[in-house]
Amino acid sequence: MTGDLLLQAAVSGFLLGGVYGLVAGGLSLIFGVLRIINFAHGAVMMLAMYATYWLFTLLGVDPYLSILITGPAFFAFGMLVQRIVIEPNRFAAEHNQLLLTLGLALFLENLALVLWQGDFRTVRPAYAAASFVLADALVEVPRLIACAGAVVMALALFALLRLTDVGKAIRALSEEPEGAMLMGIDVRRIRAVAFGIGAACVAVAGALVAPFFYVAPDVGESFNIVAFVVVVLGGMGNFVGALAGGFIVGLAESLGATLLPGSLKQLVVFALFVLVLLFRPAGLFGGGHGR
Amino acid sequence: MSLLQVDGITKRFGGLTAVNRFRLDVSAGEIVGLIGPNGAGKTTVFHLLSGFHVPTGGDIRFKGVSVVGAKPHEICRRGLARTFQIVQPFVNLTALENVMVGAFNRTEDVAVARERAAEVLEFVGLGRRRDVPARQLTLSDRKRLEMARGLATGPELLLLDEVMSGLNPTEIETIIALIRRIHARGIALLIIEHVMRAIMALSQRIVVLHHGETIAEGPPDAVARDPRVIEAYLGSVP
Amino acid sequence: MAADAGAGLVLALLVVVPPFLPPYFLEILISMMLFGYLGAAWNILGGYAGQFSFGHAAYFGIGAYTSTLLFLRLGITPWLGMVAGGALAAAFGLFAGYLSFRYGLRGPYFSLVTLAFAEMLRVVAVNSKAVGASLGLVIPTRTPAPGDFVFAGKLPYYYVILAMAVGAVWITRRLETSKLGYSLRAIRENEDAAEAAGVDALGMKLRAMALSSFLTALGGTFYAQYFAYIDPTITFGPAVSIQGMLQAIVGGAGTALGPLLGSFVLTPISELSRAAIRGRAGVDVMLYGLVLMLVISFLPHGLMGALPRRPRRPQP
Repeated sequence: MTGDLLLQAAVSGFLLGGVYGLVAGGLSLIFGVLRIINFAHGAVMMLAMYATYWLFTLLGVDPYLSILITGPAFFAFGMLVQRIVIEPNRFAAEHNQLLLTLGLALFLENLALVLWQGDFRTVRPAYAAASFVLADALVEVPRLIACAGAVVMALALFALLRLTDVGKAIRALSEEPEGAMLMGIDVRRIRAVAFGIGAACVAVAGALVAPFFYVAPDVGESFNIVAFVVVVLGGMGNFVGALAGGFIVGLAESLGATLLPGSLKQLVVFALFVLVLLFRPAGLFGGGHGR
Repeated sequence: MSLLQVDGITKRFGGLTAVNRFRLDVSAGEIVGLIGPNGAGKTTVFHLLSGFHVPTGGDIRFKGVSVVGAKPHEICRRGLARTFQIVQPFVNLTALENVMVGAFNRTEDVAVARERAAEVLEFVGLGRRRDVPARQLTLSDRKRLEMARGLATGPELLLLDEVMSGLNPTEIETIIALIRRIHARGIALLIIEHVMRAIMALSQRIVVLHHGETIAEGPPDAVARDPRVIEAYLGSVP
Repeated sequence: MAADAGAGLVLALLVVVPPFLPPYFLEILISMMLFGYLGAAWNILGGYAGQFSFGHAAYFGIGAYTSTLLFLRLGITPWLGMVAGGALAAAFGLFAGYLSFRYGLRGPYFSLVTLAFAEMLRVVAVNSKAVGASLGLVIPTRTPAPGDFVFAGKLPYYYVILAMAVGAVWITRRLETSKLGYSLRAIRENEDAAEAAGVDALGMKLRAMALSSFLTALGGTFYAQYFAYIDPTITFGPAVSIQGMLQAIVGGAGTALGPLLGSFVLTPISELSRAAIRGRAGVDVMLYGLVLMLVISFLPHGLMGALPRRPRRPQP
């Protein structure tokens, strides 16, 4: 019986892990190019989830289809935020840049609170409750789609990074900032693009989880912490590592929820975070930028 | 009296051997020059001596006691001070406060530290700048500030890492004179330098490093004529 | 310094005027002093040593829960419980600090790990029936008992927190002119260069952590006694961590008066914004976020950095 429960938890957790990987991938990309830990990552995801909610509730747009709108919109939003808030401070001390994104996070989260208050809202299209059984485990369709969508998006990004000029510029800037500048890469534009891509990642992730999550001003916070854990686990700046790390954390969190009472499952995630930071700061897979 | 005994230290970074069985002896009151082409491993040697890197192999003995694995501040306590190749002042502190930090190496008392720092600043010629925030100091002043900070720690051996780089000829003369004054106080010096005339003039003995290994050692004029040294710097001898 | 004279005047007003203020204003002053105090405590590790903790709520919560539990379960007066809480918080701070510093965590990584520690304590507290779980703990304050840190009316609480805030500033001043103070600032500026100059970076940072966490915990006890109710989400939550940090950064991290100056500016902003837009939670924090972004962008040394400085006397 416990075996069934664990299997169930593993499946659910693994599927959500895909989304974690996408969210973390965006964060990792931002870190790789801009060398900042974007504290406002979760807040942007929250905003995207609200956008998904309003599109669904007011205009009847299916959450997955709304990605076609929110994806590009938040990409632009991300570029704008980077240009206005972050770029002017790119020479500030590291801890100041962290505080900057913290300020942004506080601002956005509470803006949402002021505008839309703290009530939980939900996005429940017709298929929200659909599920099927696969080898003794219940698979919820929205979760499955979310995971698949996240993986597709991640693959698309991977292709972008490997095959397009923009992607190569991003990788160049991540690995060799000075060399990239000397090569004539428009560094300012790439920085804005990187942040935009990060925002697009969470926008897509937000739309993917909307059918089985809740929408509220604080929903971003839990994804924020998880994203940090995943990124550190996968290696700061290691995009593929982030994806793998997402699945690991999703699993760990879900199994933790099965084995630990109450909300103690969060301890698993935090403990993992602390342990990796202390002992493997370059990430489980290396290739990260360490401390 | 032997102050520093470096016994065949090696430093590997992954697959790269930066320093290979490097040997060095420095006696009290000596001035030894350490030269070599860029990338020879000179600064790595300094990092190893001052505790910022741990040697992969070999031993370093300062005043008879092994300092391998000791933290930089412990090594400083024992009497080995250093400057950095890229100068590292405490930019938001004044020149005096910068040097006071070093002076605290020898005292717990703030007033004593302040007095000692003021004295050292005078000694290096920065007395007039004592209340200037370090960020407002010129490069030449910052170099002297860093030397002052090192001197305030009361060292018996001072490691100078390219203190003359980026300075104009007048400034270089000032530093050379300062180094002589430091030497006159009985402090031993190990100097990395690219300004050849300076290091030739100052050093009693020169060690030449190339690809992490010593390729020559001896009095300045002997080393200057050594074909292996010339080849290391200029490529093969015609 | 002109700032000192101004501070002296303000202090005099803060002592003399409050008995004549209506309760609403007294409440605001108490908040102001408490946040300023927390800022000053954070400042020792953050502003002077340059280690930006995002998880000081851990110590606040330890202080609040320790004194409250000792009071409720063993009848020990919170005046003593306060010290016990401080000691426990310092011990936890040394533990967390040692792990973090020993393994070389600096900058943002240190900030994140401190956040993680605070969150872990929060989760444990929420899930522990022994400490009241998510319902928290209530402190009976119906009958005043000064010996038990229970006062009638708000005024006595005000003077207690005022004394604590002044004490914190005084401790910071003493720190500034001590060897520890110079060492910490050197570490903040450049830890490697400080080590090379003989500064035991690990030892000094731990000292700063112990002092900072001890003081923060005392603030937790005050909070518990004043509000007579604590719960894990508030006392161990990120809001408390951010509050302390914010006062110091806006006012001027690394200065003795900065945190209180920051509090003098931020608390009225918070109050006014909440009064102006009633019924909508979050306006004040939204403004905090905006202020933080503005300060980082335009006044990186905080408000103290914007004040005209008396030029240092050149040497004769």
